[in-house]
Amino acid sequence: MSALGGPAKTAGVQPPTGMGLVISIVLIIIAFALAYFLLQIAGLLAVVGITVGGILIGFGVHFVPVGGAPAAMGQSPGIATGVPMLASGAGLAGLFAGAWAAPLGLPIALASGAIGGGLLMAITCTMVNIIYIFGMGIPAASGKVDKDPITGDTFPEYKTQGTEGHGLPFISWVGGVIGGALGGLGGTLIYLEFLDIYQAQMPALLSATGEQIAPIAISLAGVFAIGMFLVNAVLVAYNIGGTIEGPHDPKFKRAPRAIIASAVASAIAGVFAIGLLELVGVF
Amino acid sequence: MTVQVEVGVGGIPHNKIMIYGLVGSLILVYLTYLNEITGTEYFAFFGGLACVAALIWGTDTIKILCSYGLGTGVPSAGMIALGSGTIAALFGATTGVFAPIVAVIIAAFIGAVCGLMANHVVRMDIPVMVVSLTELAVIGAITVLGLIAMVGGTFNFLDLVIGTTVILGFALQTFEASVIGGGIIAVIFMLSAIAIQHAFNACLGPGEKQDRTLMLAAECGFLTMIPVAIMSFAFVEFIPALISLLVSVIGWAYTYAKYIELSKRDAFAWLDAKPIIEPKGGA
Repeated sequence: MSALGGPAKTAGVQPPTGMGLVISIVLIIIAFALAYFLLQIAGLLAVVGITVGGILIGFGVHFVPVGGAPAAMGQSPGIATGVPMLASGAGLAGLFAGAWAAPLGLPIALASGAIGGGLLMAITCTMVNIIYIFGMGIPAASGKVDKDPITGDTFPEYKTQGTEGHGLPFISWVGGVIGGALGGLGGTLIYLEFLDIYQAQMPALLSATGEQIAPIAISLAGVFAIGMFLVNAVLVAYNIGGTIEGPHDPKFKRAPRAIIASAVASAIAGVFAIGLLELVGVF
Repeated sequence: MTVQVEVGVGGIPHNKIMIYGLVGSLILVYLTYLNEITGTEYFAFFGGLACVAALIWGTDTIKILCSYGLGTGVPSAGMIALGSGTIAALFGATTGVFAPIVAVIIAAFIGAVCGLMANHVVRMDIPVMVVSLTELAVIGAITVLGLIAMVGGTFNFLDLVIGTTVILGFALQTFEASVIGGGIIAVIFMLSAIAIQHAFNACLGPGEKQDRTLMLAAECGFLTMIPVAIMSFAFVEFIPALISLLVSVIGWAYTYAKYIELSKRDAFAWLDAKPIIEPKGGA
């Protein structure tokens, strides 16, 4: 660790503190109440949707195999970059796919977002394995489990001594696709909730038609969705603390903590983002 | 995986930088309000200078936060700062003349919530986490607000959503050609997120010196101002945009020269490498 000390590294998963849980519940109630006060039932539904989107992102990121710097040297399994980069890659691909399908209705847009995020992770994971296997000449072997839970392949024979495993086993590939799909779904849900609120409010506010205000509504909803996605992704990155192999990794048990944190951060940030237009013209 | 992050000791105390950064950047953002008072756009460049002041403060905050070894890399701090800051900045922009103050208060609230979640739910247990994330969100909000004021000449929400295009000699009011409708916020978001994390990410390690890191932060700030000044040609008059561009280019050239000087001071040896000369007729 560094000269200044650092987080206590005790074994097992530390549960959230009592104070943390109380603050979380109070903040979520405040956010919901504020949303109802500002925009009545539409606001409440939007903040609930945004919170669910944040939870989906927070949970989904845990599936993505993140290798970090050691993976770039073939010393740990996963994709060789950090959690925020991978999460924002998958989330933004999902967001673009979902935003493109937004006029086709909520179910199609959400499905499109999930497919976009999952597709990006599928391509990324496949290309990562091609580079690992044919470029660097290393087999896929997990360091956390002895047997792939899906294919039943064994790993210890292929694992190089002194490493935590290397390459991208099939279970990590599947995890990456699930994570990308959940992230894309959550990002798209947040975007659509913002878009609905802005498209309902802006025409009256700016005395223009729905088509005229579309660029502003889409731009605001998009940038807020990206911002909230990154906030959630970084909180999850702090929860994972560097690297994770996928759903079979023991660190996956930490997911409930990230879900609470994402829900609270999304609800609080979301209520400010949907309440923004209420203030226009007041001052 | 936790990479040891070493930071230099000594230099200006963080609290002093924080006070100068907060007060200085708020005053600089407010100086752009002279545009509205005088009915001109010549003071837009003060927004960019506010961004530089905030980035210097932000780099010192990131240095303190990341010296605890987050395990997720320095860039994540920049992403969470701008993610929460953008929402607060645009929320503040709707309140007219109070914009910078409201943006700072809202950003501090969102940042504190993220910090509490990170410490008490995700259990990072880092003493400076809440304060640092609060500061980073405020820095993100001031950065975005300053750059918005620089590109559009104002931080008033209604002026930011309505732009003017000239078609066949007639000036038309449209929403597409505005700062928000044109999606400029997304560019500002990423430019500042990269600028805020780069300086410490590049300078960390043994022999890190505060003045060199902060000089690089100022250089990143002026470098961010250059594209923003170029974009401002589309939204403000020619002469004010030219002033912004000149201020940013001169500031960048000065800080870059100073940074190279400080790097030469701190380097063990300095080799002025030249490109390898190709032999005539090919190798």
